[in-house]
Amino acid sequence: MQKKILIIDDDPNILDYLSALFTDNGYDTQVAPDAVKGLETARRFEPDLITLDIEMPGEWGPRFYRQMMQIKELKNTPVIVISGLSGNEHAIPKAIAAVKKPFDREELLRIVKETLG
Amino acid sequence: MFKKILFATSATRASDHAARVAFNIARAYHARLDIFHVLGVPSRGYSQVVVDIKTRERVDVDDDYMAWVQDEITTYYADYLKNGLDYDIHVAVGLPAREILRRARETEPDLILLGGSTEEEHDGVYKKTVAGTTLQKVARAARCPVLVVTRPAASFWGGISSITFGTDFSKASDKAFEFALKMALTLNCELHVFHALAITSLSSERLMSQDDIEQKIREKLRVIRARYEPRLKTLKQYTMEVWEGIPYMEIVKYARETHSDLIIMAHHSRKLETDDRAFGSNVEQVIVRAGCPVISINR
Repeated sequence: MQKKILIIDDDPNILDYLSALFTDNGYDTQVAPDAVKGLETARRFEPDLITLDIEMPGEWGPRFYRQMMQIKELKNTPVIVISGLSGNEHAIPKAIAAVKKPFDREELLRIVKETLG
Repeated sequence: MFKKILFATSATRASDHAARVAFNIARAYHARLDIFHVLGVPSRGYSQVVVDIKTRERVDVDDDYMAWVQDEITTYYADYLKNGLDYDIHVAVGLPAREILRRARETEPDLILLGGSTEEEHDGVYKKTVAGTTLQKVARAARCPVLVVTRPAASFWGGISSITFGTDFSKASDKAFEFALKMALTLNCELHVFHALAITSLSSERLMSQDDIEQKIREKLRVIRARYEPRLKTLKQYTMEVWEGIPYMEIVKYARETHSDLIIMAHHSRKLETDDRAFGSNVEQVIVRAGCPVISINR
């Protein structure tokens, strides 16, 4: 069964790029442009992994993460932070990885494969 | 909540994460930001020769030099100063702690915001575990709350929606609670009231039994309920918790577990120098270790 990845980012280019990258590598993907829609999609889609931007209009990534932690079905879902913000590795201490934009696609795929098996 | 914020900055990388907090909080809460920089300490009393903190050079300070430093700061923070932020930049000469406190007395801010230490002599682990002298002096003597950001992890990550208030049930803690409650009400966020039960270290003579520890935890939980819960009921979401261990470590861990964006604690010591300078008080240890900004309140 295909593993599911939810991509949350306010940059439509990043959404397109990551969606194509993960789909080409055999994953089922969905995208969300902000934290609110991200949470709605996550509830419905029940992803196996989430990639999360930090600085977004409205609520930032860490707030999405806090809300996600309160949802039983989502609280164990691994999160990879993908952000251009300096110090992004500190934004969500329990994220499984923090990748700085611009990122190396092979490195990102390696982390995803390692996590999802 | 905050109308006037005094942001004391070295305008170097050591203050970058504090800057992100200062500018974002000022913008989010429509506060006026007073950016204050002490450019160096005179080599002798009333001397015009100063070692510039940014360039490390000895300079003759006159009005032109002060204006140049002010321009440098404007350039350094140019990205943040766009889009109608209400701000002012002031430059002074002197001992940083004294000048910051002097500026605070003049402008009466609602909050003083400080960044990490620039003390180069404190390298490695020592530097990372000791609150700088400026920070210690300002936190102990300020008349308003002091918010400190020492680690990149404690930078701004989108706003304040969860606050940990650490209490030791002192009168100073009661004052800090008033502030924490007001802040939680104003910002509509969660408030986590936390007490850390100090456990005797393994190396000391008397070790508490687990039964004793758990009994004390129950006692302290009752104290928290009696002391704070009637007021907490005005909030939508709050929790009360007591953990055992080394107090500053437990507070940092608890704040991480609750995803807190802010820790609020009382600062007891008003003494400017203490024998345990290298270790500092619990709040000073929390300040250097926390993964979020810490507000210290001393009166």
